[in-house]
Amino acid sequence: MASIDIQGVRKSYGTVPVLHNVDLSIQDGEFVVLVGPSGCGKSTLLRMVAGLEGITSGAIRIGERVVNELAPKDRDIAMVFQSYALYPHMTVRDNMNYSLRLRRTPAERMAHVVSAAASKLGLDTFLDRKPRTLSGGQRQRVAMGRSIVRQPQAFLFDEPLSNLDARLREQMRVEIKKLHRDLGTTSIYVTHDQVEAMTLADRIVAMNGGVVQQVGTPLDLYERPTNLFVAGFIGSPAINIINAVLRHDGEQRLIALESGERIPAPPRVGGHDGQAVKVGIRPEDVQISAQAEGDFAGHVELVEPMGLGTIVHLGTAHHALKAFVVERVNYPVGTNIAYRLPASKLHIFDAKTGQRLPE
Amino acid sequence: MSTMPLYEEAAPRRPAPLRRLALGLEPYLYIAPSVILIATIMLVPLIVGLSYAFRDMQLINPFSGGFIGLEHFRALWTDAAFWLSMKNTLVWTFASVALQFAFGLVLALLLNSPFPGRGIVQALVFLPWAVPTFLSGLNWAWLFNPVVGPLPHWMAALGILPAPENILSDPSVAIWGPIIANVWWGIPFFAITLLAALQSIPQDIYEAASIDGAGAWRRFTDITLPFLAPTIAIAVLLRTVWIANFADLIIVMTNGGPADQTQIVSSYIFTQAFRRLDFGYASAIAMVLLVLLLAYSFVIILLRQSLLRR
Ligand SMILES: Nc1ncnc2c1ncn2[C@@H]1O[C@H](COP(=O)(O)OP(=O)(O)OP(=O)(O)O)[C@@H](O)[C@H]1O
Ligand SMILES: [Mg+2]
Repeated sequence: MASIDIQGVRKSYGTVPVLHNVDLSIQDGEFVVLVGPSGCGKSTLLRMVAGLEGITSGAIRIGERVVNELAPKDRDIAMVFQSYALYPHMTVRDNMNYSLRLRRTPAERMAHVVSAAASKLGLDTFLDRKPRTLSGGQRQRVAMGRSIVRQPQAFLFDEPLSNLDARLREQMRVEIKKLHRDLGTTSIYVTHDQVEAMTLADRIVAMNGGVVQQVGTPLDLYERPTNLFVAGFIGSPAINIINAVLRHDGEQRLIALESGERIPAPPRVGGHDGQAVKVGIRPEDVQISAQAEGDFAGHVELVEPMGLGTIVHLGTAHHALKAFVVERVNYPVGTNIAYRLPASKLHIFDAKTGQRLPE
Repeated sequence: MSTMPLYEEAAPRRPAPLRRLALGLEPYLYIAPSVILIATIMLVPLIVGLSYAFRDMQLINPFSGGFIGLEHFRALWTDAAFWLSMKNTLVWTFASVALQFAFGLVLALLLNSPFPGRGIVQALVFLPWAVPTFLSGLNWAWLFNPVVGPLPHWMAALGILPAPENILSDPSVAIWGPIIANVWWGIPFFAITLLAALQSIPQDIYEAASIDGAGAWRRFTDITLPFLAPTIAIAVLLRTVWIANFADLIIVMTNGGPADQTQIVSSYIFTQAFRRLDFGYASAIAMVLLVLLLAYSFVIILLRQSLLRR
């Protein structure tokens, strides 16, 4: 096991920059998840750590070694591909022990390691089958098994679950988490599924357009997103964003919403009088009531029951708003609803830069 | 209510045996005309041709044509020129296929890796394939001719030949002239076929292997070759049969000479039939070649089946 240190890494294809100056330190044994929209450079960064892509500038260290010029085979890392990339002409057993055979591991030890990994992943009965006779989920396990038999310095995962159905994905997610708990190997996991990111990560790295937006624990990113992108990307249903202006009224800090309504600003928020801002509030923080107990009035436009709770889409004078409640409400469309936006739950971002206002 | 009358009606209608036979034959009768047509076109010439092997068929002798049984085959057994041509066929076929395959594979591997101008190079590489065989035969015959061609002089300068002579007129090495021409002409076939197969190998499998610790050589032996094996088997089979039968270059370049030293079985058949006009004897030789090639094809097809099943 080893730490992974990414310093000032850039990547361009020809003249097209894909990654801009990425800095990231991953502790020994940490599980780091890279998230971001499609095309933001997650896979590229991961493949650079693996040695499958060249590094335009900067340095990548695995343990103490700078690996920039090392071939993938000398980096002592294992990778799980989205397509699984199993060797179709080899049995499951041979797929799993291929790396050990290349290292001339003694046969007994190889058999022992492979059968241990197979029973951990529930693959015992498939060892003599070819990958094409397995289901997607089983192939996925073989790909994991191939990685763990090697006991590498680090695991790299590139959207390993995205070809599975929702149910299986959930199950494998838990297994990956358990596996990491048992093995404690440093892992980098790429996904654009934010539920995977939230549940698996020790730390999440949110990326957009080749730039790292925020690095932190899942709750850090959820509760204190550093900019509009992270606020919008993390969380489902997505955060509400409302245009507003900061007002300093003597000692009192207020936020004037575009509808003209004023609400108290969160304590300690910075910014200056007249500054254009965007106010974010998560749907579960919007408090609604059909008994007209609230600050503002709106009406129901749509109700989405989710089982776990209900998403209520509100129409108000100037903006749409989503509220998430755990009760099974079933308001008819058009019902008048009062709502409240609690000051302590507001996220205030500069309208121009999209950055969170300093506190 | 309605099932009862239906059943009663159906029972007496069970067809008589003759009618049942007619019903069973019906589909075959429909396809019979085309089957008979195809069989006639394909089989009749073959059978007539093979029947010559057992008859005395000489074009210059108007009284020939009688049935002579295995006479031709007995003559063949003691015909030294035939055995020489058998040996030459083996050398010709094996050397041509092996070299075409080896160079074709190397070329396919080179063309499969990206470099600037790859599109143009790919097009150029496939050019020999488009050259008519007679033209390429003549071309190579001239290249080997010290009066007009540069090759003998180059080979002499490199010390391969003691003096700039025409290898086509040296009985001990003459067979290599047509072989070289054949290799030049046949490389594109292997290159195209193998390149197509190479391009169908998923890239991420190579990436997985390189992460697993495989260097370039192990990736080649553990991934490229197993993926190519079925294609290689079928390409080698087709080319072997085809080249064993392929007399054009030899006829054009050496005409089987000097002293039958470059005669292969199929050029020997050609010589017997169209130079000596002995169609019966030529047919007998052709029949031997046919049997040998069928046996060979059968073995390779079995091999390919087992490769594909793995
Ligand atoms: N070989 C290449 N040549 C040129 N551009 C490339 C190449 N590979 C990737 N890119 C570009 O780099 C950017 C990042 O690609 P990357 O595969 O890292 O995205 P990603 O974040 O993994 O997206 P996804 O979630 O869809 O997998 C994309 O805009 C892509 O078009
Ligand atoms: Mg990707």
